[in-house]
Amino acid sequence: MKHLIPEFERMKARFPAGFDSSLVLPCLHRIQADRGFVADEDIVGLCEYLKVPRIQVEEVLSYYTMLRREGIGKTHLQVCRNIACSMRGAEDVIEHACKRLGVKPGQTTADGKFTLSTVECLGSCGTAPVLMVNDAYHENMTLEKLDALIAGLS
Amino acid sequence: MPGRQLIMNFEVTPASHTLADYRARGGYETLVKALGMAPADITKEVTASGLLGHGGAAFPVGRKWGVMKPNPGEIHYLCANADEGEPGTFKDRWILEHAPHLLVESMLITSYALGVRHAFVYIRGEFDLPYRRIQGAIDEAYAAGLLGKPVPGSDFALDIVVYRGAGSYVCGEASGLITSIEGRKPYPRNRPPRLTVKGLFQKPTVINNVESLANITGIIRMGAEEFRKVGTAKSPGTQLISISGHIAKPGVYEVEYGYSWAKFLDEDCGGMLHGAKMKCVVPGGISTKVLTRPEIENLTLSHESVNPAGSGLGSGGMIVIAEGTCMVRLLQVLLRFYHHESCGQCTPCREGMGWMHRIIDRIVAGEGVPDDIERLYAISHANDGTTICGMGDAAGFATVGILNKFRDEFEYWIANKRSKMDGRLECRA
Amino acid sequence: MPRLTIDGREIEAKAGQTVMQAARDHGIFIPYFCWHPNLSVPGNCRICVVGVAEKDGGEWVEIACNMPAAEGMVVFTASEKVKARRKATMEFITLNHPVDCGICDKAGECTLQDYHFEYNGAASVSRDAKTHATKHFDLSERIVLDNERCIQCTRCVRFTREISMSNGLGMLDRGDHSIVRPSPDGAFAKDAYSDNVIDLCPVGALLAKDFLHKARVWYLKATPSVCPGCERGCGVNLWHRKDEWKLRSPRQAARNEGIDRVTPIENPAVNGPWVCNKARDLPRLFGRVRATGPLFKGAPAPCEAAVLEARALIAEAKRPVAVVSSWASNEELAAFKAAFGSRFALVAKRDHEPQPGEVVQDDLLIRADKNPNAAGVRAVLGECGTEVPKDADLVLVWGEGFDFRAVPAGAKIVFLNAFLAPENGHADVFLPLSIQTERSGHYTNFAGVTSRFERCFALPPGVLHAEELFGSLVGNGRGA
Repeated sequence: MKHLIPEFERMKARFPAGFDSSLVLPCLHRIQADRGFVADEDIVGLCEYLKVPRIQVEEVLSYYTMLRREGIGKTHLQVCRNIACSMRGAEDVIEHACKRLGVKPGQTTADGKFTLSTVECLGSCGTAPVLMVNDAYHENMTLEKLDALIAGLS
Repeated sequence: MPGRQLIMNFEVTPASHTLADYRARGGYETLVKALGMAPADITKEVTASGLLGHGGAAFPVGRKWGVMKPNPGEIHYLCANADEGEPGTFKDRWILEHAPHLLVESMLITSYALGVRHAFVYIRGEFDLPYRRIQGAIDEAYAAGLLGKPVPGSDFALDIVVYRGAGSYVCGEASGLITSIEGRKPYPRNRPPRLTVKGLFQKPTVINNVESLANITGIIRMGAEEFRKVGTAKSPGTQLISISGHIAKPGVYEVEYGYSWAKFLDEDCGGMLHGAKMKCVVPGGISTKVLTRPEIENLTLSHESVNPAGSGLGSGGMIVIAEGTCMVRLLQVLLRFYHHESCGQCTPCREGMGWMHRIIDRIVAGEGVPDDIERLYAISHANDGTTICGMGDAAGFATVGILNKFRDEFEYWIANKRSKMDGRLECRA
Repeated sequence: MPRLTIDGREIEAKAGQTVMQAARDHGIFIPYFCWHPNLSVPGNCRICVVGVAEKDGGEWVEIACNMPAAEGMVVFTASEKVKARRKATMEFITLNHPVDCGICDKAGECTLQDYHFEYNGAASVSRDAKTHATKHFDLSERIVLDNERCIQCTRCVRFTREISMSNGLGMLDRGDHSIVRPSPDGAFAKDAYSDNVIDLCPVGALLAKDFLHKARVWYLKATPSVCPGCERGCGVNLWHRKDEWKLRSPRQAARNEGIDRVTPIENPAVNGPWVCNKARDLPRLFGRVRATGPLFKGAPAPCEAAVLEARALIAEAKRPVAVVSSWASNEELAAFKAAFGSRFALVAKRDHEPQPGEVVQDDLLIRADKNPNAAGVRAVLGECGTEVPKDADLVLVWGEGFDFRAVPAGAKIVFLNAFLAPENGHADVFLPLSIQTERSGHYTNFAGVTSRFERCFALPPGVLHAEELFGSLVGNGRGA
């Protein structure tokens, strides 16, 4: 995490003075983008850097669904299963993805290539069902598109 | 086209979100006009426009601003609420992706009116393209000298920080949003004090929905009087409606208040998916009560028309549900969502959401008892007005709305241990 | 000052008060779990709902703890609407609570138990299995946490943020999975005030390991006392067995004369509602092995003879010095002065010094002088010396913590002490004294506040009260 401090400093400069505590979330985002997850040593370093209590960072990490304490597969497939997506076939997409990858939601394939998750509304209801591949939305998902996508990434 | 358009009034092209294109459409000209006005006059104009908040509660924007009495030398903050998370809602995303400079200009004008030096855009963490678009627009504005230092020809300067959430529904609640920006768990806060009195880091803070803010530029450009000519007397202007579900042409539509609801669905949105029959519609995000097709037949899309029908336009997240859809399964999805998103701070929501979720799961598993329906009502009622934020209420509204109208489906499943509608949520051709 | 009506009674609130505060000031009870007068107001438990009359004759309900008292407000604490809301809230709170009062140490002084009887009283209406959470979680070496009993009021978390400032605890995760956990950096284990969270906990989620399963609280009585751990002199309750609940088995008899636990007595002038962990450990301090009989140079001696011998040594001395205990009560000091006048040259002694690892001083309560009554010594006996004069021919040592190497060669030693110690046998005469729990008296703290402690136990056989002893040490020679 230490090598990110120059970047954190630039972030800090955008905030009003005295907002160090606000940087917890942006810094955690950045750390996770760098390492794939947030490790204990990152937390210790961040607390030292921002002068915030350890428990605050632990609370934040445990609360938000996007933050991870452990690594996941190379490609993160997140299928929305909220109402609009379910009404447009998300349940089939999830079932198909499970079958195709041989994992249940929340699991990673044995080769470490894919982690499958289900998530709640991604705000893409008009183009449902939506699948998030790492950071990118793949909208109007169909079983064929999913097959092609997985094949392309395998 | 469902009436006149104030926001989606340009052609979307691969470059329409850029500063150059925005300027070509007259962008940032209103800012110059605003900076020539007294800040209080801007608030007056917004109040006179009758603009209603587009986050879901339809609270008058001018009234919210009016609470904040800008004192020179005192710190005030503005946050644009772009944590669009209400299921069924994806209209702010349209503004962020296609009209980010409209938001930036509006935030400049609003900040000038409210004595704000630092503003934030709180955007949900999953939004990737919208984040890159709004951050890109802000970067362009910085490069153009519109942000970060006094706007040319004035001594007003503003900084805007884009703050990314990390996956939490309650961050869309204004006080939860603020606690999140403070770098803590996004627990919503009790009122009083109002956030316009003690908000971000205890300083007066105005939090407006992205769409509410996006209207400010237009109001200042055309003046409150002209703005009020759009829409109806009680619902001035337009509302972005994001429509999804079993509808032929889902997407974001800008609807002038007062437009016929039936016409909107049947003509503008192309009618039902696969020519199905409509069973009911969630008007404005899942927290508003569902209305059946006959109930909406003669309604217009305006607050004064929808509210008396026992529901509301909320966040404009409209979900159309076709005949044959299983409302028990639908409620199960909703209750799973509310259970997943309850922050756990206050008792009724923390315990009630899990309880309702377990009950509906048990019903679907074929182990329901007739008493369960009353229990769902009781839990909903016990969450009505008793929680710190509106989430407990919202879950209750959604539940009661569905139970009131489709109780027979629940009774059927409990009695027969299976769905009356074959358990489907999709609408197949 | 806003005037409002609560349950038909018109009261005047102080400016800025909430309905909860105003009601309490006027003796009107509104129930609460999460609210605490010394902590921030999270308004999360929702049990303090009250009704407020609306102009149209209706009534809306809102939590009292966060509602500003306003002029003309009409409040109901027990209307039908309020009762229904409270019952619903109690249903929620007990929904996943194990209701295992039968094996819970908190039973008998549990807010949840009391409120259940008061505001609900009915069996659970839930048909679903209760959710499970961690039981017997070691929050620290001192405290055990039962997450199933926790009602997530966050009092403990807020205490570590707002009062002890250790940031030792947090609420991890979300929704009904939320769970109290200590900070992984060990901040809570190092928190010198951590045990206050046990008292703050309105349910049986946080329990002291020292007191775990030791006694039902209704077997115990609380004797008001003063913590002697430092010159702050915090008010404490010493909990010990009631006479009617004394243990009969000889094997357990010793427990009848011991302190089972210590809790704070709220005293805004001294300690507010808190005490530090040292006060909680007083049972260990008082429970050390006692000296039970007089000694002549280490040999057991009859009490009467020992007193006479001491008296003779004092009478014969030409330059006697008394090393005075700063653990002595004001009454004992007065008795000393009354008995001896200016017979002795006086040296003040710190009986206890900071121990390794102990917090020496902080901004909350803990003071560097680890003795309760140094101020009392100064007040009763005036300024005393700090070193034993080189020409002393008799040294009367009163209490612990004296380095006997300071006694001039050839000088006689009379030693008064309560505990068994090797030094006891070095004295020419040793007399065993009572401890604080065996007598009543007063200490004066560093700020001049005098507090009273009461007796918990009878005097053990062979032990003397200093207050009575000093009179017998005045007189001539060995004759009666």
